[in-house]
Amino acid sequence: METTDAVISTRGLTKHYGSVEALTDLSLDVRHGEIFGFLGPNGAGKSTTIRTLLGFLHATHGSAQVLGMDVASESVEIRRLTGYLPGGIALYDSLTGEQVLDYLARLQGRGSYRRADLVERLRMPQADLRRRVRDYSRGMRQKIGVIQALQHDPELAILDEPTEGLDPLMQQAFYGILGDLRAEGRAIFFSSHVLSEVERVCDRVGIIGRGRLMAVHEVRELLARRRRRVSIQWRGVAPDASTIPGLVDVTVDGDRLFGTLEGDVSEFVRAVASPSLEDLTIEPASLEEAFLEYYAEEPSAAAAPSEAK
Amino acid sequence: MNGPLFGQTLAWQRLRWIIVSIAIFGWGILIPVVYAAFSDVIRDLANSGAFPEELLSFGSGSLFTLPGAVTLGTQHPLVLAMLGIFAVGATSTAIAGERQRGTLEVLLSRPISRTTVYASITAGLLLVVACVLFTFLAGFVVGAAIQGVLDELPIEHMPMVLLNGLLLWGAFSTFGLAASVSFDRPGPAIGLTLAYLIVNYFFEILGSLWREAEWTQEFSLFHHFQPAEILAGALDPIDLVILGTAFVLPIVYALVVFPRRDLAAPA
Repeated sequence: METTDAVISTRGLTKHYGSVEALTDLSLDVRHGEIFGFLGPNGAGKSTTIRTLLGFLHATHGSAQVLGMDVASESVEIRRLTGYLPGGIALYDSLTGEQVLDYLARLQGRGSYRRADLVERLRMPQADLRRRVRDYSRGMRQKIGVIQALQHDPELAILDEPTEGLDPLMQQAFYGILGDLRAEGRAIFFSSHVLSEVERVCDRVGIIGRGRLMAVHEVRELLARRRRRVSIQWRGVAPDASTIPGLVDVTVDGDRLFGTLEGDVSEFVRAVASPSLEDLTIEPASLEEAFLEYYAEEPSAAAAPSEAK
Repeated sequence: MNGPLFGQTLAWQRLRWIIVSIAIFGWGILIPVVYAAFSDVIRDLANSGAFPEELLSFGSGSLFTLPGAVTLGTQHPLVLAMLGIFAVGATSTAIAGERQRGTLEVLLSRPISRTTVYASITAGLLLVVACVLFTFLAGFVVGAAIQGVLDELPIEHMPMVLLNGLLLWGAFSTFGLAASVSFDRPGPAIGLTLAYLIVNYFFEILGSLWREAEWTQEFSLFHHFQPAEILAGALDPIDLVILGTAFVLPIVYALVVFPRRDLAAPA
C-alpha cells in the first residue's frame, strides 16, 4: 500500500459478514489538522469503518493506515496516539468518574495533559467526578466519554456521535474544544447523523450509505452548490425569469416569483438587482437538504467511483 | 502483561475475595476439628454397618486419616461453590461481560493487544484462585494445629497439594476464560463452564459412590486431584500431566481465537 501523509488513509476497505456487505471498497483520506465529518444514517457503515480503523474488526479486503501505520499489524501503536469515543459509551458503573479517568489514563500510558482543561470546559466539578458513574445522567457519562478520549492529547481523535446526550451549552463547549484541537494541528474524525453540527464544525464531510462512500466534499463547497429556495418581488412588471442565471422551477404568483436557485448566488443577485426590486428572500441552504438530496440520488451515487480525497 | 489491567482485575474481585477467603478459611479449620473430634465415632458407625462404606470415602476422600480429610474437604460441594465463584463465575464473565456491557471497546481502544488483555485478566483471576486455595489449606493447617494433630500432616508436601489444586481449579478457570472470549454475552459462557464443572464432578462422585461405575472417575478432572496420595509421598505425575494439559489447552485456544475475533458494536 502506498504511504500518504494523510492521518487516515483507506484503500478499497471492505468488510463483509457472510453475504452482508457492511462496508464496500472504501477509499478515503483524512488530512492533518482537519475535522472530517463522517455522515450517514444508522447502519450505513460508519461504525464498521471506525471499528476497522481501530482493529476491532478485520477487513475482508483492502487496507487502511492510521497515522502512517497499518491497522492490521500496528494497531496497538495506533491506539497509543489515538483517542476514541464510542457511540453510546459504556463506562464502569461501580467506579467514580475520577476513577474511570485515572484507570483509562493508566491503561493509555500517557499523561492526562488535557484533563484539567476538559473538566473545566465541560463543567465537571470535582464533586461530580467523585460520584459513581452509575449515578450519572446520560450527559455526564458523555462528558466523561469525551474527556477520556481527549485527556491524553491524542494526535487523532475518532469520535462516534460525540454530542449525543450533551445539552446545547455543552455542545458549544465541545465545539470550542474541537476548534482548539484543530488549531493545534490535531485531526478529528467525527461520525454523526446530526447534520447541523457537521455543517458547523467540520471542514470536510464524507457521506456514506449502505456501506459505500457516496461523496466527499468540503462543507463550504457542498453548501454553496446546494439549491436554495428564492422568492422575489418587483414593483411593476417582473423581468423575464429565463434571463436570471441559475433560476429553475419558476412559478409566478401575482407580482411575486418563486423558484429554485442552483449555482452561484452572487451572479443571481447581480441579475435580479434593479430599482424595481422590492423584496428578495433566499432561504439558506442546509446540509440536511444536501444530505437528503444525496440519498434521494443514491442509486446513481452509489454507482459512482467511491475513491475520494 | 498490563499492570493496571491486572490490578483492576484483582480490584473487581476484592469484596467477594475477602468474603470467600473468610468462609473457606473457617471451613479449612473445621475439617481437622471434625476429623479429631468425630473420626473414632464415625469409624465405629462404619464398622457397625450403619453407613455404606462408599459414603465415608466420598470423592476419593476419607475421614479416618488427616490427609484423606483434605481431599474430603476440597471435594465438598461447599468448597465447589466457593471456588466456583471465581473459577466459573468470574472467569466466564470476565471478557464476555465486558463485551456485553460495552466496556470492552473502551478497554481495547487503549494501546493494549488482545493477547495482553487476555493474559492480564487470566493472571489476575488465577492469582485469586490460588490465594483462595492457599487460604483453605492454611485454614486446614491451623485447624490441625488447634486440634494437636499437626504431626499427622506432612507439611512439606503441602506446596505440591497446592499445585495439584491449582492445576485442577486452574483448568476450570482457563476453560471459563476460553468460553468468555468466545461469546458476546456472559450467559452462554457461564452455562458452558458450569456444565463442564458439573459433568466432571458428577463422574467423580458417581464412580466413588457406585463401584460398577468406578471407571467414570477416569474421565473426571477431580479424580486427578489427589492430596491424600501427595501427602503420603505417592504423587502420580500422570495426574499433574493430565491436569496440566486441561489447564493449558484452553489457554492455547483463547490465544488463537480472541485476537482473531471480530468485535462488532455491542447490541
